[in-house]
Amino acid sequence: MSDTSTNNDTTAKTDDTTSTTAITTIEALHEYLGRAMQLEHATIPPYLTALYSLHPQTNSAANQVLRVVAVEEMLHLTSVANLMNAVGGQVDLTAPGFVPEFPTYLPDGEEDFQVNLACFSPATLETFLKIERPAAAPDEARRLMPARRRTDIMVTAPGDPELRYYSIGEFYAEIERGFNYLHDRHGDQLFSGDPTHQAGPEYYYSGGGELRRVVDIDSARSSIELIIGQGEGVGTGAFDAENELAHYYRFEQLKLGRYYQLGDEPHHPTGPDCEVDWSAVYPTQTNPRVGDLSGFPELQETAVSFNRFYADFLALLTKAFNGEPELLIEAVPKMFEIRNKATVLIRNPIPGSSATHSAADPTPDGPMHAAPTFEMESQ
Amino acid sequence: MRFPTGAATRTDLETAAERTYDAVVIGAGVSGAIMANELSTAGKTVLLIDAGPGEDLTVKGYESYLETFYRQAVKDNQSPYPRNPNAPMPRSVDIGPVAPGQPETSGYLVQPGPYITDTTYTRVLGGTTMHWEAKTPRFLPEDFEMNTKFGRGADWPIDYDELEPYYREAERELGVAADVDSQREIGLPFPDDYVFPMHGIPLSYLDQVVDTGIDGTTVELGGERLPLKVRPYPQARNGVPNPAFNDGEGYRPVGAVGTHRTDEGERCQGNNNCVPICPVQAKYHAGKTLAKALQTGRVELLTQAVASKVHIDPANGRVSGIEVKVYYDPDDPAHETGMITGHTFVLAAGAIETARLLLASDLPSTSGLVGRNLMDHAYLLNWALLPEVAGTMRGTVCTGGIVDLRGGGFRSGQAAFSVDIHNDGWGWATGAPYTDLLHLVDDHNLFGTGLRRDLATRISSQLLLAFMVEVLPTETNRVTVDPAYKDQLGNMRPVVSMTIPEYSMRGVAAARQVSKLIFQRLGAKDFTRYDPADPSYVEFDGEGYAIRGGNHLAGTHIMGTNKRNSVVDANQRSWDHENLYLVGGGSMPSIGSANVTLTLAALCYRTAKSMISELN
Repeated sequence: MSDTSTNNDTTAKTDDTTSTTAITTIEALHEYLGRAMQLEHATIPPYLTALYSLHPQTNSAANQVLRVVAVEEMLHLTSVANLMNAVGGQVDLTAPGFVPEFPTYLPDGEEDFQVNLACFSPATLETFLKIERPAAAPDEARRLMPARRRTDIMVTAPGDPELRYYSIGEFYAEIERGFNYLHDRHGDQLFSGDPTHQAGPEYYYSGGGELRRVVDIDSARSSIELIIGQGEGVGTGAFDAENELAHYYRFEQLKLGRYYQLGDEPHHPTGPDCEVDWSAVYPTQTNPRVGDLSGFPELQETAVSFNRFYADFLALLTKAFNGEPELLIEAVPKMFEIRNKATVLIRNPIPGSSATHSAADPTPDGPMHAAPTFEMESQ
Repeated sequence: MRFPTGAATRTDLETAAERTYDAVVIGAGVSGAIMANELSTAGKTVLLIDAGPGEDLTVKGYESYLETFYRQAVKDNQSPYPRNPNAPMPRSVDIGPVAPGQPETSGYLVQPGPYITDTTYTRVLGGTTMHWEAKTPRFLPEDFEMNTKFGRGADWPIDYDELEPYYREAERELGVAADVDSQREIGLPFPDDYVFPMHGIPLSYLDQVVDTGIDGTTVELGGERLPLKVRPYPQARNGVPNPAFNDGEGYRPVGAVGTHRTDEGERCQGNNNCVPICPVQAKYHAGKTLAKALQTGRVELLTQAVASKVHIDPANGRVSGIEVKVYYDPDDPAHETGMITGHTFVLAAGAIETARLLLASDLPSTSGLVGRNLMDHAYLLNWALLPEVAGTMRGTVCTGGIVDLRGGGFRSGQAAFSVDIHNDGWGWATGAPYTDLLHLVDDHNLFGTGLRRDLATRISSQLLLAFMVEVLPTETNRVTVDPAYKDQLGNMRPVVSMTIPEYSMRGVAAARQVSKLIFQRLGAKDFTRYDPADPSYVEFDGEGYAIRGGNHLAGTHIMGTNKRNSVVDANQRSWDHENLYLVGGGSMPSIGSANVTLTLAALCYRTAKSMISELN
């Protein structure tokens, strides 16, 4: 397990304009923010697939944790869109390749895992823990590391695919340094974007964190810090300043079977029991493809229709982030529709298929269930 | 909102009986929770006693309510809450066919009849706010002066202006979503800069269809022509916070209650079953205030504890203690009895249970008015099919209605009423949508695609108008007790005698005419039918109506200016027993045509303030 204490350093450096940064032009900042949006979005399909694979009326703990984390990833996506709009960049969630092809690599400090679209299981939970793992580079020199693989890695340094960041936190720290650097050079001219493109707090709230309009360097910094804090956590504690539990520790509750309560040390929750029923899960096909369903026209049509709906949804968000934030209200019922459409697939077994799991894996055997494929037509 | 782990079981009868609390509060519903929170925040020690099951409010426990609700074939407004013979509650489904001349005894309330009400209240932690619809209109200024203005009913000893600041406190605690201008338009005064904690919940599509259809329509009541318009209701459910609230401080919605952090319930999802339970806890329930009160560390909660007798010191008339029966298991009558002592006592058990407890303690008060003047809104349901699909079943249960008939000069002759447009279709009247399925299968032999299509069309074209008709205090409408009728613990059950007064029936008759006019304007086909065999069937002027209970119980310890015309003073303090406060709807001298919870919450804030200064 990584030592979280070193993370203090990265966030404490926010005002340290002497730090070197790879982001020295506004174009570079745009490119980094574009990557960031891609990254925030990429976790949503895996989280939703796991969430909707839970049997209804069961697994309330897992249901709550997965739902909250997915919702906060949507907050992060929107926050990055605000950052991009603030500095006059272009937000486009419909661009080819925006939605990754699964399985995909996501960086967390090691290139030791890929992210699948898969049902909720101990293995899936391990992946989610890795995605959100608190990880700070051991020292300044190692924030950027040589990439062993050139493809599929999202948090490579734009402009130099040979390099990638040690973790998502470091990637965002770089963006913050870039904001500081460019603000020093350009002053408030950096924030040249149309302020009416900002989505404000009225369009989002959850228990922790608020959507902030980004209009100056302070609001830019606080938006970035919110993203880092909610994900992997910052500093030495599991809770942030608003007493919110970081995603990593939310997931860890499911693994350890116990809830955290305020004051708990990381990895040692002392709250009430947190029960998980690993068998109350639909065993969905891992990384499904529409093509796999060719023998089953009804399922296939449903999968295609899901993807079309999802593509339309991303197009709606793109419109919302391009000057019509009020469309985010319209997006809310569509998110319920995404759930309903995903559920139709996930509750249906694929005829003739079978899923056999190792004795150690509590996921139920039986026919494999269909699942949304998140394949976008543009790809 | 975090409920401290173990708070529901931390104390027991033996321990509690040894202490002397600053205040002993009976009932952990909205009134009791507010009183406990206010008193403890001011540094006072509080014992909160509740008859319901002794379990912490957890998300899991809430989900078990939901599962029970989902499983029930008949989804009445108590369906999520398990039966508890040691602390029973009225359930509309329990009311059996009534034989003439025989009392109705199959429900918890014993009702001599002939009119049988299906009104309910809920005896679990959080009380009736667990099942309430969460509409939170304020009373009109004229509602406080019924006698002065209209020569009807009784005046309150306080007026709207006196209660106004406390309305704002209640709106903050309950988290009310409304746009203040929409409330000013119906004659409610607010401070100039006031905004509600959250922006109003928008009108449903169904509301808009009705509003367009009745545009320009007026009705004549008492010689006045009044326009019909659909307006939004203020609601205690989480919507979009208003950043201007509280001088720009904004408002943070309060989500689900549990022993661990869940980040759920911060926004209404339009699940459309607010009654009997919001699936995500976006709707306010008193558990949210209760959890806050318990966090002060000065509130102890004694659960599975039914207050059975109030003891009075004959030397000074003060309450010396309250006898409590604590049971171990809802299905087992075994219990222990103990005496709880404190400096002050607050009965907050709801209009029926508070009166029942006083009468079972042989404390009818000097005025003899304990249990009398029982009020509840008389609901007249009218249902029709619209000529178009109007999106019924979308939104919360009720987002809008016609509220311009809540006030006016006509109230000297007949009851006022407001009209709720039900987004949940005919459910309340006919058991829709389940009965629609049976109807289309059994009577129309539909199946497959045709059944799906017709079912969707029929349900989403349903319009139910619920007219909430005012009822004035009448001494013969009352709660009594009778040793012949006891519950499993040996506590006497409430005996409820109600008739709908002629003043209200004139309102009912006018309401029926207004509904016909609205249906006609909308081109809707009226399916309303009142069954003469219905125990709630009432005839008036040659017409028959089924009058549903409103669960807005009030009047049983009425507030007034002296000990001969009332049970409590303007601070809800008993005239007879200076350390006893009776709080809740029971104190109200009128209920107008507004849901009562917001007003009783406001009264509690006012009472708490006076109690705290008294205790200091």
